[in-house]
Amino acid sequence: MRKVILVKDTDTKRADQTRDFYTRILDYIRQGNLLEQVQVVRVADIGVYGQGLVIKILPGGVIYTNVSDNDIPKIIEAALQENKVVQGLVFEPKAKQYRLVLRNCGKIDPESIDEYIASGGYLGLKKVLTELGPEKLIEEIKTSGIRGRGGAGYPTWMKWNFAREVDSAEKFVICNADEGDPGAYMDRSVLEGDPHSVIEGLIIAAFAIGASRGYFYIRAEYPLAVERIKRAIEQAYAYGLLGQNILGTAFNLDLEIRLGAGAFVCGEETALIASIEGKRGTPHPRPPYPSVKGLWGKPTVINNVETLANIPVIITKGGKWFAQIGTTTSKGTKVFAVTGKVKNSGLVEIAMGATLRDIVEGICGGTFSGKPIKAVQTGGPSGGVIPQELLDTPVDYENLQKLGSIMGSGGMIVIDEDDCMVDIPKFYLGFCVEESCGKCAPCRVGGFQMLGYLKKISEGKGKPEDLGQLRRIAQAMQKASLCGLGQTASNPVLSTLKYFETEYNEHIINKRCPAGKCSHLVTYTILEDKCKRCGLCAINCPVKAIPGDKENGYSILQDKCIKCGRCFDVCKFKAVLKK
Amino acid sequence: MNKLTPVDLEKMSQTKTGQAKDWIKVGMSSCGIAAGAQEVYNFFVEEVKKRNLQIEIKKCGCAGACYAEPLVEVSVEGLPSVIYGTVNKEVATSILEKHVNAKRLVNDYIFEVLA
Repeated sequence: MRKVILVKDTDTKRADQTRDFYTRILDYIRQGNLLEQVQVVRVADIGVYGQGLVIKILPGGVIYTNVSDNDIPKIIEAALQENKVVQGLVFEPKAKQYRLVLRNCGKIDPESIDEYIASGGYLGLKKVLTELGPEKLIEEIKTSGIRGRGGAGYPTWMKWNFAREVDSAEKFVICNADEGDPGAYMDRSVLEGDPHSVIEGLIIAAFAIGASRGYFYIRAEYPLAVERIKRAIEQAYAYGLLGQNILGTAFNLDLEIRLGAGAFVCGEETALIASIEGKRGTPHPRPPYPSVKGLWGKPTVINNVETLANIPVIITKGGKWFAQIGTTTSKGTKVFAVTGKVKNSGLVEIAMGATLRDIVEGICGGTFSGKPIKAVQTGGPSGGVIPQELLDTPVDYENLQKLGSIMGSGGMIVIDEDDCMVDIPKFYLGFCVEESCGKCAPCRVGGFQMLGYLKKISEGKGKPEDLGQLRRIAQAMQKASLCGLGQTASNPVLSTLKYFETEYNEHIINKRCPAGKCSHLVTYTILEDKCKRCGLCAINCPVKAIPGDKENGYSILQDKCIKCGRCFDVCKFKAVLKK
Repeated sequence: MNKLTPVDLEKMSQTKTGQAKDWIKVGMSSCGIAAGAQEVYNFFVEEVKKRNLQIEIKKCGCAGACYAEPLVEVSVEGLPSVIYGTVNKEVATSILEKHVNAKRLVNDYIFEVLA
């Protein structure tokens, strides 16, 4: 195979030098008449960030960082020989993805069961049915140490074992695909990219507890995921992997899809069950837990998409193998949907124990703007923010909880200096207030009241005693709410209060929003000395609050201004000051 | 279709399903389709027919790099497998002309190398 040299400038603080660098290397290769032996290629992403000019050699994948022109001859000479590298320049990326749940995503055709089987699919099911039997299967899951990936992190084997031990003529399994956290979409990707792995996991769960019926609860907002799961179920029926006498054994299972109408609370298991039963989707007190008394009063196991997608691998490779990955309390991998102010947004799967910094800086390349990261939000509306100085914390269930956030389903939002730490909890709390089912008062009333205080503070009408009041209501909600939604809805507020109280005080005492997000606290003014009198701001102002002309200049009428920021955005000379 | 037995399953998992030597995979999950993957997929299918190329065009799920959708993975004998990102019809044309025909990697659009 011809050698390939990939080049990329990874320093985002200056103008991109990839092209010049490429030309210099190409010149060197032309001079040496090496064009037949190597190809130089400019790439869009080389997997390393903030390391100056980077070269990657293929095959082999050796990476050289901070390359100077003097290094080029050495590097090319080494590249032309087998197994030779230039010592001292080689870079070993620390942060690596570990694709376990996403093993087939982007690899196989999600609409073809044959491709799934050809990649080792349904062999886990075969092993369970023909070799293990339910007890050994649950034992294997216990050894693996896998915990629920939906957020709470309850050990999967315990759920299964409870349901197995209950004596009942009928039992159910449910796949919880009601993914609702803002910014989280890893379940959708797994359902769309590898539907059979989730179905296989669900069949195995059904076998473990002795269920003969199963449901896929998917939100209707995921039409493609629904379509692909539907097709996958049909294919599995055709191959005898669902229905009567699965793989020629005595085990029977029927699977059905139920669509959720997009209520966030229906991701909570008791509300989800009510929704499948055709009732209004509201939670009810536990215990009894669904494992004992669930759907139609029968023992029911509800597992998250990501949990189920892990099961086939655990079976084929063994619980012991799985338990090697991760930390002492959290085994395996976790998929995160990294969004927000990050350069490479998308899905990242890491072994538990990788640090948040590995994820947002090592794999995702830091912020888009190059500005420093202020914090990372995990766990969606039930989670909290983790400030920049704690980003070296290894990711696992316990660590994130200690910091006042949660693992959650896997949403991860990167926050930079332009984001306001009063505005962010206001957004999440607003989401929970809208999604609260209204059944219990702590969540219904508490959330609404807290949101009121946050609005007041963001409008510059807050008082110092409001912070104490926020904390008091938050505590009441945590203690007294019926389900997880209310119990965790205050987390974004509490965690921002914990780490960014100064920013709250800035809003309350100095009536200032440091990030310039809270529109009530921002004023726009035109700087006379920078203004070129082009009039662009005046044309773009939607409320005609910028009178003036090209001779006399322009100014903003503060009482008319609606603080939309259009003038600030359109000014080409940075003559509009935002304060 | 016949119901499978454990033996059939074992057999199927070992036989590789009609994998052509060279192939192009287009990421066709919601994120890819939203970014124009369907158009790119159709374009590849048409062009390959038109140009009479010996390469299979396939669909797959999202590979995770959502910021660079539509993603297209290209595997051609003699070249490393790579994922091209932000692919449109122009980039797709260069992939066919340069990568598939001339066996040279295309500049500026590679987001990941799979060795």
